[in-house]
Parts: sequence; structure tokens; C-alpha cells
Amino acid sequence: MSVAEVSVLRSSEARQARWPAPLVVISLVIVALGFTAAIFSSIIVPNAEQENLLLGISQPSWHHVLGTDELGRDVLAMLIAGARTSVLGPLVIAVGSMVIGNIVGLISGYFGGWVDSLAMRWVDMMFSLPALLVAIVVTGIAGSSYAVALIVLIVLFSPGDARVVRGAVLDQRHRPYIEAARLSNLSSKRIMTLHLWPNIAPIALANGFLDFAFALVSLASLSFLGLGVGPGSPDWGRTLSNNMGLLQSNAWAAAAPGVAIILMAAAMNVLGDWVYERLEARGLEQ
Amino acid sequence: MNARLWLSFVLRRLGASAAVVLILSFGIFGLLYIAPGSIVLTLLGTRPASPQTIAAVRAEYHLNQPFFIQYLHWLDNAVHGNLGTSIQSGGRVLPSIAARFPLTLEVVLYGSIIAVGAGIPLGIWAALRRGRGTDQVITAGAVAAVGAPSFAVGLLLLLVFAVDLNWFPVYGTGQGFFSTMWHLTLPALALGLASMGLIVRFTRAAMARELSQDYIVFAQARGLSRMQVTSYALRNSLVPVLTASGLILTSTLSATVMVETTFALPGLGTLLVNSVTFKDVPVVQAVALLLTLLITVINLLVDVTYALADPRILFTRHGE
Amino acid sequence: MTLLQVRDLAVKLRERTLVSGIDLDLVSGESLALVGESGSGKSITARAVLGILPPGLQASGKITIDDVVVDGKPELASPLRGSVAAMLMQDPFTMLNPLRRIGPQLADSLPRGARKGEASRRDIAARLKEVGLDPAVARKFPFQLSGGMRQRAALAASLMRNPKLFIADEPTTALDVTTQREVLRLIGRLKQERGMGFLLITHDLRVAFSVCDAVVVFYAGRIVEAGSAEKIRASSEHPYTQALLAAEPPVTGRAHVLHALEGSVPRHDDVLNECAFAGRCRWASDACRSGSPELREIRPGHLSACLLAGDLSSRHFDFPQTGPGEAIERSVSEPILRIEELSKTYHGTSAPSVSAVSLEVGQGEAVGVVGSSGSGKTTLARCVVGLETPSKGKITLADSDVTSWMRLDRARRRELRRVVQMVFQDPYSSLNPARTIGATLREVLGAMGQPSDAKHVNELLELVQLPTSYAARRPVTLSGGERQRVAIARALAGRPALLVCDEPVSALDVSVQAQILGLLNRLREELDMSLLFIAHDLAVVRQVCDYVYVMRSGEVVESGPTAAILTAPHHDYTKALIASVPRDDRSWLDS
Repeated sequence: MSVAEVSVLRSSEARQARWPAPLVVISLVIVALGFTAAIFSSIIVPNAEQENLLLGISQPSWHHVLGTDELGRDVLAMLIAGARTSVLGPLVIAVGSMVIGNIVGLISGYFGGWVDSLAMRWVDMMFSLPALLVAIVVTGIAGSSYAVALIVLIVLFSPGDARVVRGAVLDQRHRPYIEAARLSNLSSKRIMTLHLWPNIAPIALANGFLDFAFALVSLASLSFLGLGVGPGSPDWGRTLSNNMGLLQSNAWAAAAPGVAIILMAAAMNVLGDWVYERLEARGLEQ
Repeated sequence: MNARLWLSFVLRRLGASAAVVLILSFGIFGLLYIAPGSIVLTLLGTRPASPQTIAAVRAEYHLNQPFFIQYLHWLDNAVHGNLGTSIQSGGRVLPSIAARFPLTLEVVLYGSIIAVGAGIPLGIWAALRRGRGTDQVITAGAVAAVGAPSFAVGLLLLLVFAVDLNWFPVYGTGQGFFSTMWHLTLPALALGLASMGLIVRFTRAAMARELSQDYIVFAQARGLSRMQVTSYALRNSLVPVLTASGLILTSTLSATVMVETTFALPGLGTLLVNSVTFKDVPVVQAVALLLTLLITVINLLVDVTYALADPRILFTRHGE
Repeated sequence: MTLLQVRDLAVKLRERTLVSGIDLDLVSGESLALVGESGSGKSITARAVLGILPPGLQASGKITIDDVVVDGKPELASPLRGSVAAMLMQDPFTMLNPLRRIGPQLADSLPRGARKGEASRRDIAARLKEVGLDPAVARKFPFQLSGGMRQRAALAASLMRNPKLFIADEPTTALDVTTQREVLRLIGRLKQERGMGFLLITHDLRVAFSVCDAVVVFYAGRIVEAGSAEKIRASSEHPYTQALLAAEPPVTGRAHVLHALEGSVPRHDDVLNECAFAGRCRWASDACRSGSPELREIRPGHLSACLLAGDLSSRHFDFPQTGPGEAIERSVSEPILRIEELSKTYHGTSAPSVSAVSLEVGQGEAVGVVGSSGSGKTTLARCVVGLETPSKGKITLADSDVTSWMRLDRARRRELRRVVQMVFQDPYSSLNPARTIGATLREVLGAMGQPSDAKHVNELLELVQLPTSYAARRPVTLSGGERQRVAIARALAGRPALLVCDEPVSALDVSVQAQILGLLNRLREELDMSLLFIAHDLAVVRQVCDYVYVMRSGEVVESGPTAAILTAPHHDYTKALIASVPRDDRSWLDS
């Protein structure tokens, strides 16, 4: 997924779908589960990676709800353990991208002029790059490490946030209340943070959710290819790649991480739409 | 339309594209330098590191000269079709890329046709039935598709349609047109699904936005038929949909890497992944350069088509 | 022959009723005006008739168009659209398909086979000429035409199939004052030539009187008065209609007191069991609040929904009395603002927006700048406060050169910001939606070097006659007029010597307009403040300004004391502007 689509999707008012409450609740539950697993995995399943070579592969049973993989590890336990890198990583990326993107977008949109032109040149150029490919190439060649993957993705995703935020800023910038603020001796910094940003927060935050979803998929793709996380990590993408050969013996070993990725990404998508709607509705007229 | 406006527009775009390619090529060349460890060792790969081999590598890659001169050498070679030698195989890079290119192209095209061919009609349908059951189902499906990584989808498809149901072959690329199409259907589907999700959401949003505009109400108020009104909205939403399609083509190229890996197809994607893992820099650089060119050309075409569809673009400075 | 008959039309949005009890009759060749302020339900009624309500709205009631029953149902109404009844909408800038040339858009209304070919081209050329457009317009895109031209093109498009009933929804609101008159004349002529039945929706009673035979007045989703234009004009029988007439600023003189209606238009459902107008009526009694009055016939052909109808002549509103009190000559000693030979050309355009304009505003004086859009008046105002920088010329504010605000040093700039402030046109985007009124005012007080405690915030609110409880509210809960007051309060935080008002009342309803104008006049006196008042409406300018400059295409064409200019204009353009102010009889359109 490229940065371009993230912004294109956001700016296109794809939010016109209003999600029914049950779907939003389900999404909240999924996300809550994901984050709980991510944060508390060492407490919940401390021995996830313990191998049980005697057992080997097995189908789901009472003892192992999703069966075991070829090293005898419980698939569900691995899933929970893997949440740490698979969920917290995208969070870091989303937050990092949002911070950079919002700052650049605010400054670029508010001040205009050469700062804006320069920033937009950078954004346009990044947009023409397929993020995943660049991540693969750079992570792979620079020595595959998780930190490198995170940094590369933050750099690749931030133009998307910058563009969305800049667009929203341009929308508001010429409105009388901003002009009046300028006429009232208020400093640019104050205007940008206290007047502009609260009014573009809905779209900025909603975009953050989308960032998370795409970051999740990108990171999982990287680890699927063997880049990013280390070889033994229970990361979802990694596990999916490792267990691809087990399709015949215990399909769950491969299906579980795959389904987890899909569900988490979709849930964040839905929540992003919902957050936007709620925040936007507070500020808008009837 | 005004020929002079068009000319200046195309020239501006070409200039911008060329600039982008040059800048990116600089970055691609620089990849060599981000590999950990000594460059010489990286370039040697698995060959033994003796003073002769080291000297040979230094000479071949002009490592004694300043960075910028090295870049120019590399660029000059590339423009003349000399994309270097693979560290891994020892063979020349260009032929191995050329051999794999057709397969990748086939999968990408096939996948894109599925994405666009199914995505746009579904998006339009959802917009026309805005808010009702059909729309909710289509949109929910699109959201799931967007979030689903192509490799996960690919695996799922393999599991269900190849392993369980046996409708499609699990591996291989087939000979001849129909056999190839049959073999490539699952990969193309995996590739196209995520893009389809995006296209559906995007088309729906564009259509829905047009349908809520004043000119649609006016068209109804003066008695234009349902078909005419829908075609007004359709034609006017073409513009944003076109831009999206261009961008989606770009992302399809990314996803191709994942899909080829999942289905073990001997295309450019797997070549890229292998060389990256092996740190076969010349191959990586060559493939990256090729993809950059491809993407730039696609973006250029999208811009031109955009201008054809919306004449107002010609009058604005940046075509935003 | 009855063209349109509406009985008991009601429109609901989920459980909320927007309009109810609407009865209308229109005969072929006749013209009927639906008059009301924003939110009164007149537009919704028209759209319900044609079955093109926005999604979510439901219409009920009996509606027949040309003897065909439609009852507001889209399926029944759609075969009639275009051929029997057609509607022209409000905003010419969004009404036409932006990506389609004019010719093909017009041709789209023709039957399938007749869209292409020589015959259709001639037909389209003829219709373009009918609305006063050159046939070459057919090859153009809407964005290449001016607002007035687009409106004419849209007019031609809606008449392509020669409908018998023509509905125009505020056809001139988005246009220049001078264009308005032309478009109204054009519509009048077409109506005559084609013998169409005509339904006009407007907020301006005077326009209604001069264009239509019959008038229906809407308030809060109900009809409060209906009858022939002559009867209502001669003696209106509903306090609201009278208030509307009284609130219109006269261009003939300055009113001593502009009667403003306090409060704002209520929602239909909020006043279900009483007279909708009771809350704002000066003669409301308990009887008025105990049940919704029926619309009944006071005289033949004249209906009113007021319990006091027939008895109102003795309680007539004093229509604005005008008379002496306006300055004839100008006596400006020390100007607080002096503009010399100011010019401004924007990047990328060849024609200057403002061209060598010179202007002065004296201490305590109210100066008006009048012109239509594109005249450069707004650019001028923005240069004065520093939102734009002039290309040439000089601006002196209280003895300081402020030609380029950006080049002033910080301290000086801060000081000068306390000298001049601005009030903007759109009250709906003048306030930060994310902050409460109190927070906004506190912030600006602090920035102006004033103490920012509750006491001072309350003082500001009282200055603009708003209750102090408003400090805790957010802009979204306030009406347009109230928001504009807050915007004025904000501008006054530093007690500026000069207040620049950029079309401060153009976006407000007439009854609210009067409130704001009265407020500005009062504030000017109380605070001994100067006013630079930008407007396109001469009548409004006359109520506030002693001196006026008339601008056109970036230049000042005439200037002088308001009374002198408006009674005896010299320049043709000024004369055209004065002639464009709607009067309430037919003669306004003929000449």
C-alpha cells in the first residue's frame, strides 16, 4: 500500500459510509484485544515460544485451541506473543508519521510561500514511490533490523499525513476566524496550535488510524519476507511465512496470523471513520 | 483545446518527471553505501577476498573515485543498457531482468484488470444505492479488502481454491495463453483484491459526492432523464477515479512482490526479494531503476488523461 | 386554467416538521411570489412541488400540476419536469455541470434524436439569443462565463422544453446588484412572451411586489399572509409582513430609527401551539399564545393568520421616517485614515484589482465604500488592515505609515492593531467553532493588553447587547446575527479608533440586518469610533455612512456626502446602482 492511497482515500470523503453501531463495537473489541495482547503478552503467555518437539504439529484440541506448529508451539499463544511487534510497531509508525506530518502540514499550509513549495515537492516525490518496495529495498540492504524498518516506514508515511493536514489547513486558513486571530496580535504559533489544529484534528486523527492500518500491513509484509523482525520472532507476518508449508497439516497455524492481520487492519479502518464522524459532528453546524 | 496550453502542460510534466527520476536514481545508486560493512566485501559477495579480487572490484566499480563520479559512471552505464553483473550469479543483470519481466507484467495487468473491472462498477452501484443494504455490504467488503495484505489473501485463496477445492493449480506458470491465465488467476486475484477495495471506496466516494451537487439537482429539475443524470455524475467522477487508478497501479507493483513470493512465481518480485536478502546490490539497483521509470511513466500518463478529462487543469499552475 | 394547486402540503425530516398547512393556487399567466427569510420553508415548498427534495425529506399533501396529480412524489412528478414545470435554482456558480460545454448542456434537454445536428444548433443559438447571450457561448465551459451569464444560460436550459410553469428560487441572490435587475427584467419578459405561470421565491418583499401579481408570506414553515401584491402593499394585515417592510433600509433617506426585530426565526416545531410570530410581535397577547391562528380571509383575496388582522391599521408600524439629519458637506479635520493612490495587482493577473484609489476617513466619521463584486472594495479594506499588501500607494493610519504592515517592527504593529480592527462578512465562519465565546473574547482581550477577566468579557458582551450567559456557549448554538455581534465585540476588545466592516450585514436576513446596523450606529456614537463600511447595498450604506465612495473595476468613480450622491448622482454607474435598488412597484423594472 502506498502513501498516496492513504491520502487519496482520506481526502475523498470516503467517510460517507456511516458504520452501524454493532460494527463499531466489534472493531473496538478487536482493537482492545490486540493492544492488550501486545502490552501484556509476557504476562499472559510467558512461555509461548517454548518448543515441544515431542508433540510436533497437531490439530486444534481442548489443550491447544488452535493446534500447534511443527515445533510444538501453541498457535494461539504464538499469536498473542506476536501481537507485541505486530501491533506496537504500527503504533510507533502511526504516531511518528502523524507527528512529522502534522508539523510539516501545519507550517507548510499556514505560511505558504517557498516553504510550502519545497514541502510539496518532497511530498509529490515520495508519493510516486511505492512505500513497500522502498521499505523492502532499504531494510534489506541496510541490514534487516526492526528499528530500521520502523524508521523507513515513518519517513515514507509522513508525506501522506502532511498532505492531508496541509489540505485541511488550506481549507481553514482563509476563514475569517483565522484572519481575525491574525489581526488580534496573536502569534503564529498560537494560531496554528490553538486555533487551526483543533479544527483540523478530526481529519488528522482519523488519518492516523488509517496510517496504523497500512503500517500494520506493511510491517507484516516485511516480516513475511524475512525483513524487519528477527528469524525467531512470533511476529504475525513472520509466523505466516514460517507456517505456509503447514497448510495441509494444520491450516490454523498459517490462517490464524493472517486472519489477525486482516481483522486488526479492518477494525482500525472502521474506528478511524467513526472517530472522524464523532469529532466532526461536534464542531459542525446542522 | 488550445494547443499551446497543452504543449506547455506536457513539457512541464515531462520536466518534473525527469527531475524526479534523476533524484531517485541518485538515491538508488546510494543504496550501495547503506549496506553495513565494507562496500568491497558486499560487492565481493561469496567470492574470496584476496588482494587481486579486491583490486578487481575496486577497478570495476570505480571505488577510488569520488562519490559523484561513481554515480555518473553508473548512470552512464545504465542509460546504455549495461546494468552490471549480479554478485550472486555472476551473470549480467539485464538479461535476467528481461527474462522475468513478462511474467510480472502479465500478473500485474491481469490483477489490475480485475481490480478496475470489478471495482468501478461495484463502487458506482454502491453510490447509487447509498445508505441502503447493498451499499453497506459493498463498503464493508471493500474495507476488509483494503486492510487485507495481499500475501494473506493469497494464502487464503491457495488454501480454499487450490488445496481444498482443487479448482486451480497450486504452483507453476503454465504454457500457452489459456493455461497461463488459469495458473495466474489466483495470484492475480490476490493482487487485485486489495486494489479493488480501494477502487470501490474511491469510486463510491467520488460518485456520491457528485450526486449530491447542485448541478445534479438542477438537471433533475429541468427534466433530464435518470440515465442522463447518472451519466453526468459518472463522467464527472471520472477525474478523481482516474487519479486513484494511477496511484493504485503503483501500489499493485508493490503488492506484486508479495504475491510472487507467496505463489513462488519466477518474476521480478521474487528476483528483488532474493537479491535484497543476498545483498546483490547491482540487481537491486537495476530492478529499482526499472520500477522507478515504470511508475513515473504511469504517473505521467495519469496526469495527461486527467487533463483530458478536466480541462480546467490546463489553466491552473500545479494541476492540483 | 389552474396550473398549480397545492393543498395542505407538509414536509418532514424524520420526526421534525419543516413546513405545514401550505395551500397555493396558481393560474396560467399569473405570477406568485413565496416570500420569507432563510429557514422559512419557501425553498423546500418549491422543491416539494417538483418532487426534488433532498434525501431524507418527506412530503405529504395534495399537489396537482396542470391537472396531473403528483402529491410531491418523485415518480409522479418526474415525467412533468422540464416539459410542464421547470425550476431555476439559486446559485449560478454551482448550477451548471462544470465539465460540460453550454451548448451540449442545453441540448441534453431535447429529445434523443434532436440533440445533434444543424437543426438543434440553430435551436440552441436562438434560445441563447432569447436570454441575451451570444450564440458563441454554446462552445464555452461554465467557468469561462461570469455569474450573470451563467444564470442566463441556466435560464435558457430550464426553458428548453417550453414548460408552462416556471419556478425561480432566489434567482438573483448570488448576483451583482446591477445584474439582478437585468435578470429580473429578463425573466419578466420571458414570462410575458411565453405566457408561463411563474412562481418566484425571494426574501425581498419589494422584489416580490414589483415582479408578481400575488404574494404569499412564509414564517417558520407556515403561511402567515397571502393575497394580491397590491392589497398587501397597500395595507398589510400581519405584523411580520409589516416588520419585514419596516426593516428594509430605504435608499431614499436615512431612517431615524430602523425598526429591528429582536430575536430570530423559530423552528416550526418550537411554536406549534401558538402563533409562530408571537415571540417577536409587539402586539402579542395571551390569545396569540394559546393556539395557532388559522389563515382566514380578511377581505376578498387577502388572507392573514393574525388574530388582530383587520385591526392593524390603527397600530401600524412607523415606517422608517427619513428626513434631515444627514450631513450635506464634509468637515474632516484630521483623518484617522488616509489612503493615497493605492493600487493592487495580484500575482498572475494582468488587470489590477485596485487602481489609484485615494480615500479619507475622519475622526468619528462613517465612510462607505460601495461597489459590486470585482470592484476592489474588499481588497481595499484588506489592505488597510494588513491582510493584503498594496503594490503601489500609501496608507496612513493615525499618523503612521502602514502601507506594509509586515515591515513595521513588532511593537509598532502591536500598537497599531489596537487602532484598527475588522468585522467580516460571513458570521458563520467568523468565530472559532472549537472555542466558547468567552474563551475567544478572553484571548483577544489579553492580546490587546486589556485585563482578560470575566468582568471585561461581560462588558464586551453587554456592549453588543448579548446576555452574559453567552460566554459559556459555542458559536454553533448562536444564530447568524448573534455571531456577528460577537465578532463585533471581538473587534472592539482593544477599543479601536477605526472599525473596518467588510459587508457585515450582507449574509444576514433583513430583520437581523436592521439590528446590526442599529448596533453599529450606536457603538459609533458611544465610542466615538470611525467606520469604514464596505457594502454593495446603497440603501444599507445610507443608513450608516455620512460619506461614500463609489467603486467600479478598481477605481473610484464618484464620491461625496451620502445624501448628495444618492439624491443627485453624477456618474452613470452610480445612477445604475441607484436604479438597481428594488422598489416596491412594477415601474422599477420598466425603464
